[in-house]
Amino acid sequence: MMMTILSTKNLTKSYGKKTALSNINMEIQRGRIIGLLGPNGSGKSTFIKLAAGLLVPTEGEITIDGDVPGVDTKAKVSYLSERTYLNDWMRVSEIIAFFEDFYTDFNRIKAENMLKDLNINPDDRLKTMSKGTKEKVQLILVMSRQAQLYLLDEPIGGVDPAARDYILNTIITNYKEDASVIISTHLIADIEQILDDIIFINQGELVLSSSVDEIRETHNKSVDGLFREVFKC
Amino acid sequence: MLGKLIKHETRATSRIFLPLYGALLILTIFTKLVMAIGAPDFFSEAASNNRVAEIILGISFTLYFILIVGICVMTMVMIIQRFYKNLFTDEGYLMFSLPVKTWELVLSKLLVGMIWSAVCTVMIVLTFFIFSLGTFSMMELSQAIRSAYSMFYLQTGMELNLFMAELALFILVNTVASILMIYVAIAIGQLFSQHRIVAAFGAYIVITIALQIIGSVFMAVLAIGNLENLVLNGRDAMTTIHWLINGSTVLNVLFGIAFYYGTQSIMKKCLNLE
Repeated sequence: MMMTILSTKNLTKSYGKKTALSNINMEIQRGRIIGLLGPNGSGKSTFIKLAAGLLVPTEGEITIDGDVPGVDTKAKVSYLSERTYLNDWMRVSEIIAFFEDFYTDFNRIKAENMLKDLNINPDDRLKTMSKGTKEKVQLILVMSRQAQLYLLDEPIGGVDPAARDYILNTIITNYKEDASVIISTHLIADIEQILDDIIFINQGELVLSSSVDEIRETHNKSVDGLFREVFKC
Repeated sequence: MLGKLIKHETRATSRIFLPLYGALLILTIFTKLVMAIGAPDFFSEAASNNRVAEIILGISFTLYFILIVGICVMTMVMIIQRFYKNLFTDEGYLMFSLPVKTWELVLSKLLVGMIWSAVCTVMIVLTFFIFSLGTFSMMELSQAIRSAYSMFYLQTGMELNLFMAELALFILVNTVASILMIYVAIAIGQLFSQHRIVAAFGAYIVITIALQIIGSVFMAVLAIGNLENLVLNGRDAMTTIHWLINGSTVLNVLFGIAFYYGTQSIMKKCLNLE
């Protein structure tokens, strides 16, 4: 098994004339929780979409476990989009059946337990749920897979602090040791304690990539503090 | 994976169509019963002595036509909406992160759209059949069919079976190509950063015009030298019609292939969900 789960080479993505990501070179190892941090519009979502195979690079290359995004990598990657992508008319139990059908690594028992913990009734229709509850359901589905790479785009933005703790706890306890989790967010203080590494991006460029311990040692600051300093307006 | 996609696509669409077709069947049977009991001569004679039955039949036939038109429109809307909404709006984030190939996504939508179009046709024929039950005998029917065959052969020198098969193939290919044309227009709309639905409509109109031109050229080429045959009745005219149908089928196959690859390659290379 390769130790590198995700690697990019001169990864560039532009939409027309606008460059969203330029010349990103990085390697992400297995077994890490990585915070992908940057201000709004810095290219975080673009990066995650490229890794999820929802966008094709303009230039350069991105590989997951050695492969360009495609059917094989999608089976290994569990992607939480920033959008609520669930069909409104479905019941939670139906969407679970949907995931079970398409993802061989989906664990139904895990999903049902998490639903119970967060007091969500599997027979409820998504239409009747609040936005926060829908986000919880989506996160439960994504975390119930035994994936090798989790891509979580703004996973905690819309949920209440109590559920936030539960979710973060789920993230750290749920993934296998050889899997990695990439979390994109600007709510750094909330997730700082679970991160191993951080990647700062700004205006499509890689600003800093380091382990959290390193930051604490060399800068003598928290990640949140460093972020505020680096991205000072 | 294609099978699973088709399964879930069918599930997502049948929750709309099954109740509609259920209602259509109930209405048809109800109408037929009223007709059989209250006004057995409804189709054959204008005057009837049962006013109540006449009024009920008037209402239920109106409902029947509204329902038929509604189902046809709904089938069309569903074909467009399942492709656009499920793949290119927020739901697309889920569909495109499934471990399936792009062509499987397109094909599953296409096949299920085709199935519902076929169901629509079959159900309309079925209701006609129910309405006309008892107004003809099987003997008469088979005799009529047999005489139609021999008449057709006498007049055209062609087997009716062959002609029907060619016509069926033409309709099938034409339906597939029409659906794919909608798909490719929607996909082209996705290439724009804004006003994607407007762009899709624009693309559809442009393709329609282009096809009209190609079709006219094709017709013109075919018609040159055959003009007197077209005017004439009988065998020669039939040969021309025969060629026209098969030529359109071939043309539609070519268009369909172009639309399919266009759609698929845009989705694969230029996907950019809003």
